[in-house]
Amino acid sequence: MTLPLSGRKILVVEDESLVAMLLETILEDMGCETVGPISNVDEALTTVSDGTAFDGALLDVNVAGREVFPVAEALKAKGIPFVFSTGYGEGGLPPEWRGQATIQKPFTESTVCDALIKALGVSPA
Amino acid sequence: MKELAKSGDLAVDLASAFDASPNPYMLLTPDLRYAGMNRAYLDVTKQTREALLGRHIMEAYDGADLGENANQLRDSFERVLLTGEPHHIAVLHYPIPMPDEKGEWRTVDKYWSCTHSPVTDDDGVLRYILQHTSDITELQLLRRQTRPAGTAEIPPMSALDAIVSGRLLQRAEDIQASNRRLESERNRLVEMFMQAPGFMTVLSGPDHVFQMHNAAYGQLIGHRDIVGKPIREAMPELEGQGYFEFLDGVMATGEPYEGRQNRVRLQQTPDGPLTDVYLNFIYQPIRGETGAVVGIFVQGHDVTNDMVAAERQKLMIDELNHRVKNTLATVQSIAMQTARSHTDPAAFAEGFQARLIALSHTHDLLTRRHWEGADLRDILLHETEVHGATRVVLNGPPVILSPAAALSLGMIFHELATNAAKYGALASGEGRVFVDWAVANQSDRRLAIEWRERNGPPVAPPDRRGFGSRLIERNVRHDLAGDVKLSYPTDGFHAEISVPLDRGSPS
Repeated sequence: MTLPLSGRKILVVEDESLVAMLLETILEDMGCETVGPISNVDEALTTVSDGTAFDGALLDVNVAGREVFPVAEALKAKGIPFVFSTGYGEGGLPPEWRGQATIQKPFTESTVCDALIKALGVSPA
Repeated sequence: MKELAKSGDLAVDLASAFDASPNPYMLLTPDLRYAGMNRAYLDVTKQTREALLGRHIMEAYDGADLGENANQLRDSFERVLLTGEPHHIAVLHYPIPMPDEKGEWRTVDKYWSCTHSPVTDDDGVLRYILQHTSDITELQLLRRQTRPAGTAEIPPMSALDAIVSGRLLQRAEDIQASNRRLESERNRLVEMFMQAPGFMTVLSGPDHVFQMHNAAYGQLIGHRDIVGKPIREAMPELEGQGYFEFLDGVMATGEPYEGRQNRVRLQQTPDGPLTDVYLNFIYQPIRGETGAVVGIFVQGHDVTNDMVAAERQKLMIDELNHRVKNTLATVQSIAMQTARSHTDPAAFAEGFQARLIALSHTHDLLTRRHWEGADLRDILLHETEVHGATRVVLNGPPVILSPAAALSLGMIFHELATNAAKYGALASGEGRVFVDWAVANQSDRRLAIEWRERNGPPVAPPDRRGFGSRLIERNVRHDLAGDVKLSYPTDGFHAEISVPLDRGSPS
């Protein structure tokens, strides 16, 4: 079977290492390559601006007590698709980010996969 | 009348005239004590000057049951003291004790009509209240006798006289009764206005001049002196907050304006900083006789405490949700990773449960300190005590860890202890684990932990990195921004962990 996201590079911003490890495992199973994982906003901003190549991103909304939105802004400006992951539920996003692709913690492999396929505009296999 | 007789001949003459008047007069000090009275007054009351001078008027007639009538009298005096204007009581039912023909004292029903006038000194300060009294007991008794209408009884005076005096008196009494009722109603309303728990104020005219306000409003605005001032002058801090404009709008349109949970920046203490309060309020137009808006009635409640409590509760629920969801994601990850390294369901269940319980132990320790932190030694004790208290030797100072660091190190120690029990020093009866730690660099504190295993079976590096060692490395580097070194010398496994202690409070 061919994996729809095979070979894609996905940046992971997530401060909890166990959750990051879970995402890595899920991405690995999908044939993706993990960039990061990165556990703080500043480092994530550097990675976005320093030319590191990746096709999409998974952003934890609350990263070590800070909101990830500056990273989201930077990605939006560069036209790189991304998906938020959050434990805050539907109402957790500020109005300006409502409608952005979001996965809720805890997540299944298929929700991560579907959200990335949608965000990256890849046609499902 | 010695007070009046003090200065000069003219005063003496006036005093003599006063004393000679057939009409009863008496003079009270502002604290309602007798300062003087004329002969007619003494005749009517059957009292002596010595008995009355200096006495409080309410105590002068011992034993008389005065009730409501005394209040009526006291109210009249208070009005004079308050307003400086004369006040009349058309009919005052005021029984007083008098000696009868045999010289025995008994209470006699008396009806009076009196006028209380202020007597001021040259500076306009009220010094006395002058009471002019007419004894109208006879008139009142006559009126009583004419009352049983339709009876054959012939009144002992001309019917016309009786009817005229009766009607006049009745009308005077009625007006007075209704005045009293209105007065007490007004007092009750003012009292309610003043004591109301909500804040209230009345603004007058296009400049919104403060006319009156209650205690709650005074409290709200820091008890400033605002009466008689336009609101723009009395409360300049409201400029730019929109409230002046809302008031102008109510004056212009005659439509009330209602605010709900509106934030207002107020000067609540003199010279203090402006404070944010949240108010529910209404600006209600007050219309004059012609229907035009002449003022605004402001009424409302301070709901700041409710707002703060609701906000805090929302934050707590959000935070709780965030933590629960993150914990669930962590558990999900532990389950998935454990499943990948154990093909046997029984082994999976054992490993998974042990990790869950380790996580739960750290939660318990954090809960004990209200999630403000946990002590490093407590965490180590919790994760190693199942292997025997003497086999793990702990040595280091007290160190309070943040919740995030406590959760990470709890899992790390669990993995280290599990590995030691499976493959390392805790697998054989002789082995020991020595855990030493120290905090270096007090300004930017760094915690160094050393885990050394001794007297265990010979050690060899693992052929593949399992979940346990990956979890340790990732937790230290990723979650704690620290360094970790795992080494496998033959005489015993060795781990060195170094983490910064003061890096904010990650969630």
